[in-house]
Amino acid sequence: MSPWRAAARRFRRNRPAVAGTVVVAAMAAAALLAPLVTVDPLAQPDPVGLQDRPPSAAHPLGTDPYSRDVLSRTLHGAQVSLLVGVGAALLAVTLGTGVGLAAGLGGRRTDEVLMRGVDVALALPRIVLLLAVFAIWDRAPPAAVVVLIAATGWFQTSRIVRASVLGLKQADFVAAARALGSGRGGIVRRHLLPHVAAPVIVSASLDVGNIILLEAGLSYLGLGVRPPTPTWGNMIMDGKDVLLSAPWVALAPGCALVLTVVAFNLAGDGLRDALDPKAA
Amino acid sequence: MLRFAVRRLAFAVASVVAVVVITFLLVHAAPGEPMLGTPERTVASPETIARQRALFGLDRPLPEQFLRYAGNLARGELGMSFVLHRPVAAVLRDALPNTLLLGGTALVASLLLGLAAGALQAARHRTRTDALLGAATLVLYSIPVFWLGLLLLLVFGEGLHWLPVSGMTTPGLGDDLSRLGRALDVARHLVLPAASLALVQAAAFARFQRSALLETLGAEYVRAARARGLGERAVLLRHALRGALGSTITLAGLSVPYFLAGSVLVESIFGWPGLGRVAYDAIFARDYNVITAVALVSGVLVAAGNLLADVALAVADPRIRLGQ
Amino acid sequence: MRPRPLLAAALLLAACARGPGGTARDAMVVATTGDADVLLPPVTSVTTGINVSDLLFCRLAEPTASLNTVDDSGFRPVLARSWEHPDSLTIVFHLDPRARWQDGAPVTAADVAYTFGVYRSPDVNAPLAPFLGAIASVTARDSLTVAFRFSRWYPEQLYDATYQMRILPRHLLDTIPDAKLATAPFGRAPVGDGPYRFVRWVAGAEIDLAADTAWFLGRPGIARLIWRVTPELASAVSQVLAGEADAMEVIPARGQLERVQGAKGVRLVPYPSPFYAAIVFNLRRPPFTDRELRRALAMAVDRRTVVQSVFGPFADVAVGATSPMQWIWSDSVRQLPFDTAAAARALDARGWRRGGPGGMRARGGVPLRFTLLVPTSSSVRQQAAVVIQDELRRAGVAVDIQPLEFTVMERRTETGDFDAAFVSRTIDPSPASLLQWWSPGAAANIGHFADPAFQSLTAEALRAPSRAAAAPLWREALGRLNDDAAAVFVFSPRNNAAFAARIQGVTIRPDSWLATVTSWRIGGARAGAPERGAARP
Repeated sequence: MSPWRAAARRFRRNRPAVAGTVVVAAMAAAALLAPLVTVDPLAQPDPVGLQDRPPSAAHPLGTDPYSRDVLSRTLHGAQVSLLVGVGAALLAVTLGTGVGLAAGLGGRRTDEVLMRGVDVALALPRIVLLLAVFAIWDRAPPAAVVVLIAATGWFQTSRIVRASVLGLKQADFVAAARALGSGRGGIVRRHLLPHVAAPVIVSASLDVGNIILLEAGLSYLGLGVRPPTPTWGNMIMDGKDVLLSAPWVALAPGCALVLTVVAFNLAGDGLRDALDPKAA
Repeated sequence: MLRFAVRRLAFAVASVVAVVVITFLLVHAAPGEPMLGTPERTVASPETIARQRALFGLDRPLPEQFLRYAGNLARGELGMSFVLHRPVAAVLRDALPNTLLLGGTALVASLLLGLAAGALQAARHRTRTDALLGAATLVLYSIPVFWLGLLLLLVFGEGLHWLPVSGMTTPGLGDDLSRLGRALDVARHLVLPAASLALVQAAAFARFQRSALLETLGAEYVRAARARGLGERAVLLRHALRGALGSTITLAGLSVPYFLAGSVLVESIFGWPGLGRVAYDAIFARDYNVITAVALVSGVLVAAGNLLADVALAVADPRIRLGQ
Repeated sequence: MRPRPLLAAALLLAACARGPGGTARDAMVVATTGDADVLLPPVTSVTTGINVSDLLFCRLAEPTASLNTVDDSGFRPVLARSWEHPDSLTIVFHLDPRARWQDGAPVTAADVAYTFGVYRSPDVNAPLAPFLGAIASVTARDSLTVAFRFSRWYPEQLYDATYQMRILPRHLLDTIPDAKLATAPFGRAPVGDGPYRFVRWVAGAEIDLAADTAWFLGRPGIARLIWRVTPELASAVSQVLAGEADAMEVIPARGQLERVQGAKGVRLVPYPSPFYAAIVFNLRRPPFTDRELRRALAMAVDRRTVVQSVFGPFADVAVGATSPMQWIWSDSVRQLPFDTAAAARALDARGWRRGGPGGMRARGGVPLRFTLLVPTSSSVRQQAAVVIQDELRRAGVAVDIQPLEFTVMERRTETGDFDAAFVSRTIDPSPASLLQWWSPGAAANIGHFADPAFQSLTAEALRAPSRAAAAPLWREALGRLNDDAAAVFVFSPRNNAAFAARIQGVTIRPDSWLATVTSWRIGGARAGAPERGAARP
């Protein structure tokens, strides 16, 4: 049985991991279907009468200080969180892998230059830079948030990939492949990437949770994707002033955040255990 | 070893320089002006604003501004805050110790909690304790630190009234209490914000510690030790402690960015007068000099943390310093 | 496991460190969300800085509760014991010989002359400098007599001479070059002549003042004042509710107001605010060049619903470019009615017909659409903007709301790069502040409103010899501003101050809530007040 198949079987047997994956899928479905099954998250049908209403039949999660339906906003907020979380993680992994491969496969000089750069970059205070950029950039589209979070977060991946590549370069099967005449690209594709894939996949899936929390922190401060577009972070910002009188406004997005991040972490843990059974 | 450390130090310095340059450029390249003479109560005429701009040298071309700033920085001059009318160094001097107190307390608490919990989980691997603690750490690890802060505030501050909701001290008590009393007052105010920061990071440490210990616990020589009849506890203790100091320093060093990021959020929620709050206010008021100074300080802290972590890792694992 | 000992330790700390129940007995703690910037009157520009320095430094004379800025009877002596008008261009003040700086030196006419120099100095850049423009010179005739000379006659000379400046100590400051005044250490540890003296300032946390028991106008009723900085609004209000703070200048946000309303031991004291909020149209940009269109837009907005939904009962619909604090405020001011039918007719008449998707109006293929700038610093304006957007949408007008950071929005409006902007104006007791925002050529007249009738009415009103004569002229000017629909004047929020029951004798002068603090007292009984830590209802 191929190692991938074996890994998949181990994953399937890991109940929490499967549960996490199911929740992630459910969140994604909710995010996609939100526009179809819920009311407009920006609508204010009754600005006077509907402020801060507790949960009811018409509004299962209540309304916020702007008379908007909290359930709808929570589901729509999933769009931003998932988009940014998965998108930035994928982009960061791609960047990191690219740089790591270049460093590992390139000559000594390339390796030196790239890794020095990474060392310097690792010391940059990510949060301060992101704060500064988004405080200045008033209406950053979600794409910008994705790109900037990714651009400040690929360094560790590049180190992992590089270490992996360096280790594998010496391996017998690579020498054999070379002897058989495989080009470099072929070697990378067929031999290196699969080996590098495992730690990278694990790192990426565990990263998603952190990125979602990072984006939530930024939008809680009013940065990044701005109101009235709902994000879980800015919903908590709206809700903090009415925490005592209308707690559902902050509780709904908070619970959604925790649930989603837990799910991603469970799935990520499961992936790690499946791909590297010794660490179970 | 020394060569390794020196090289790492050189990178740390380079990082700090990069931080300052990047932040300076970012902040100046943006639309928006420092809040000069635009108060809430009165209106400043454009002439007033123009004069203030000239006074602070904001009407000069960008390269000139940067050179001036760099020159001052080299002399240890951090410039003047446009909004607070104080030297930036004074602002930092007031705020930094408070953040170090909060961050330091949270760091120590999270290390104690987290490493102990992780060790317990490893020792009780595959029992209910492991499962329960695992669930707890998973949830805590997944909570946004600002939401946790709000929840703690809601429950312990507003709901039960056990702890103060804001600030570092109770106002007006400065003269009435002894030094011990004042320290206790600060400690009371420290509990909630430090707990918010510490709980999340403790969960991260616990997860790490658990897997790190389980790895070593599976190793051959541990099995051999067990076979020789050494008790579970002795095995655990010996191996936990062997890597303890090194891994603690490494973890602590690498967690500096998280504490910095967390402090921006937690200090606003709890009104803690530290660097995070200064940063937040400065960014929104476009107080350029303060922003770049905070970036500098953060860069130094993060670089120092990474340096410590790298050195500790290298001490523990010779392959690292030789391989580089 | 581990968590339990920590919890026990926390509880132990909580029990041990409980200080005197609630706040210190003789102090009034003011909860504020922002720290002061510097405590120097010409320079300080944030609320807390202004509040604190107002108690440290005195004016020559103070307005009385009526805020009558025109008649001499509207002022009571402070540093100046008496004054006279020897001719139409001069006021001579006689200083009270009992007035002292807190280091013992007497307050002299030289201080007044020095202060005028500082306020007008280009190196200091005082925001209030333009308001002193009509004063040509201030001369000390002897140590207790100072003469103000004006460049022209107008009834509010006394107001301008006394209201804008707080007198500074020459002997402590004149060696400091003007350009360095704002950053001098004096601004962080000031020496004043007011009813309170400075004790300590813990940056970002608290400012302590102590009463000057030998103050020449009488000992202040409250021995200590402490400002406590709490950036989160909800936490600041919680402190008042929990008895950890005794007063708060304004409770904004309806949710917070409702919290205080329901609480025992805390009361709300409403008072007019010096603000009004308006949507200013850029009269140089189409479609706002069209007066009938602007009038139609104004008539399509139901301002009362906007105010109700955002503020509930805690704000007034603005009658015009004024607030209830000014004596020109009146329901008799002519305003455009809320009349969607008339608005629809007017829009149709100007060629903006419905036809686009959603029933939006267009003319010659161009949709009727504009961008409204709103600052992110004001949640109430953001809320109001959303309601107004909805109302205009129903009238067939598309509005894009663009939230901008405050300073960015300032730039855009300064340079005229906007369609419409939702601004908040701060006015002072004198109706002359109308001109600051609405007279043609004024820098702050961002919409470029210009109306000859408005100009002549206001010029005449400025010369009117008494309040009774001036009022109808000002109100007619406000009416003309409304007729032209240069802006939609939406609301004037009512300030609500919160006070703990122990603070008694409170009166509030609308332009400055602490103006009468010297006559407030802390009620005797601590018996009624619950201990800190006890659960509040």
